[in-house]
Amino acid sequence: MSGQTHVRDSYRPPFHVENSAETILRFPFPFPEDSYMYSMNVEPHVRGGPVDAMSHTFDVDEHYVGECAEKARILAEDPKRCMVLPHMRDAEWDFLELGMDSLSTDYPEHFTLKKEGNDWLWENHLLNISQSFVFGDEATLPQAPFEYMARQMQGDFTLHDQRENDLWMDGGMVTSQADWSLKFDMGMSFRQWHAPVPKASEMGIFDRGLRFLLMLQYGRPVRRLNWTMTINPRLDTSPENYMIWGEDRASVTPENVAEKVHLRVELQTLYRLPRSNAILFAIRCYLLPIKDIMTVPKWRKRLHRVLRDLDPALASYKGLDLYRSTVVEFLRPYDDGASLSTGIQPV
Amino acid sequence: MAERMGFPAFIERVEGLTPTLRRFVLRKEKQIFPPVSPGSYAALEFGDGEKVYKNAYSIVERSEDGRELTVIVRLAPQSRGGSRFLHEKGRSGLPVWVGSVANLFPIVKTARRHLLLSAGIGITPFLSYLRKLRSIGADYTLHHFCRAEERSAFEALLAEQDQARVSVHTALPSEVGLADWLQDEAIATHVYFCGPEGFMKWVEETTHRCGFAPGKVHSEHFFVPEGGRPFEVILARSGRKIAVKADETLLEALEQADVDAPCMCRGGACGACAVTVLDGQPDHRDHVLTEAERASGNVILTCVSRAKTDTLTLDL
Repeated sequence: MSGQTHVRDSYRPPFHVENSAETILRFPFPFPEDSYMYSMNVEPHVRGGPVDAMSHTFDVDEHYVGECAEKARILAEDPKRCMVLPHMRDAEWDFLELGMDSLSTDYPEHFTLKKEGNDWLWENHLLNISQSFVFGDEATLPQAPFEYMARQMQGDFTLHDQRENDLWMDGGMVTSQADWSLKFDMGMSFRQWHAPVPKASEMGIFDRGLRFLLMLQYGRPVRRLNWTMTINPRLDTSPENYMIWGEDRASVTPENVAEKVHLRVELQTLYRLPRSNAILFAIRCYLLPIKDIMTVPKWRKRLHRVLRDLDPALASYKGLDLYRSTVVEFLRPYDDGASLSTGIQPV
Repeated sequence: MAERMGFPAFIERVEGLTPTLRRFVLRKEKQIFPPVSPGSYAALEFGDGEKVYKNAYSIVERSEDGRELTVIVRLAPQSRGGSRFLHEKGRSGLPVWVGSVANLFPIVKTARRHLLLSAGIGITPFLSYLRKLRSIGADYTLHHFCRAEERSAFEALLAEQDQARVSVHTALPSEVGLADWLQDEAIATHVYFCGPEGFMKWVEETTHRCGFAPGKVHSEHFFVPEGGRPFEVILARSGRKIAVKADETLLEALEQADVDAPCMCRGGACGACAVTVLDGQPDHRDHVLTEAERASGNVILTCVSRAKTDTLTLDL
């Protein structure tokens, strides 16, 4: 992380988000091949990977302070972006412990955690937080444990209870979602919340995915990348606010496409939580405008090929219909057709 | 191959509960064990240099400070060696590898009421349940069944529990009126049971007869892999041939031959060790595969199942 400690970014009008060269190169570009179709693409979430965004348990980057501020604003406007059912209390503490342990271990210059039995002291130097509390005693924290921790981490988080050979979305904090709603999906089973996704069901991906996740073991997290596109650097593209961001989709022109259209990538990581046997689904959102992708020759050529050949049903589901051709036309002159290396790394 | 999962530990102390039940307290060499959810088991590895035993046991307790895990081991009559080794040679100081901790028998946290039914060693997962259910103020009842000579041992095990909620019986479930009690339970009650196969079968049939929905009935089989006729397994990818002896499991034979075979619970309960069968007829002994999968004959759980044919060809 390149040491930014104040709010510089704006994820709502007037938009202002700049990515340093370092941030561009650590972006988890989602296309290992020239064409894209759903696959289970799950791999162990081990330290290291083709890009730096994958090198820590939870990634903290130069937008940390800005994203936490945006998250706080969204929660102030709509407190129901964070909901946890009462039977997930143990999972909340599991999450808090995982978050504090890994952030303080991975970024000791920004976060410190001191434990004396159940008396804990947490310090978040980036957000100027110093909190002593008793682990397991909710009354000693300013918010419930899940909300307290999730407010101090980039990305969205959902908590899943495992019962009847299924996973149930029984909690979460979702403020940077790609057009889905925690309020709508709360209490749903794995297949229910995936129902809108085209093709994947008949491909058998959900059956295999669920079977895989039910066996997920503590200490063996896994990860995958998912993607869509967003107009303007908006973290909050929730269905509830569609009237605010939906019309952006019609605003893309050949002149503004490089600035406005962003590749939106979710680095999704999944963890078995030890006390609760619940599963944590962490969805870390990265936004990179076409103009920044243009600076990496391999990525701009591959993005052109993927978008050009994308299955129309997937393009529609991802909401790209109004501007996909504009993006493809813009990228076409910059793709010389040369063969590209397999994998998502920049070269 | 992925890095080895688990934690190095050693036996801290051993307590005899009955002639066939012993409690082993395991201590971690460094740092602490992760928290465990009620109903979890740990696959333990131990031995004396000549042979490595790998058995899964319910975790009865994790100490408050996280340094100790407790398991209770029953000397199995048809022991393939693991439980006998622990009973005879499991003294304090013995190194034990605590591998793959997982939970295949969790408390249903959304349940309104929990009815726990156990027999013999089947009490072990419920010892962790009881602590949790009591601490959250849940509505629960435990009925435990055992032989008369073991009554005092189990009463001692349950001495610290809320006595209004636990009962120890030395008569058979059918004799004490368990079927009637099940009949009288409210529709929202979840039933959990664990014990010897005869007990399991009786509760399974009785809950079914009483009209419990399948989603409200939960069980964990303590499955000791039984031996059988020796056979030969052929690994299709390398052409290697490995003999599976009468007293070892297919999984053990694969491990012995340094084959990187998947596994987790080692008791036919989780499905992690499923391998594709290319030729030969499996003798299914697990609790995971569907009837359709069994009938297809092209998948086998290596930890408990064997072969009906002289050879079995696997996609390994």
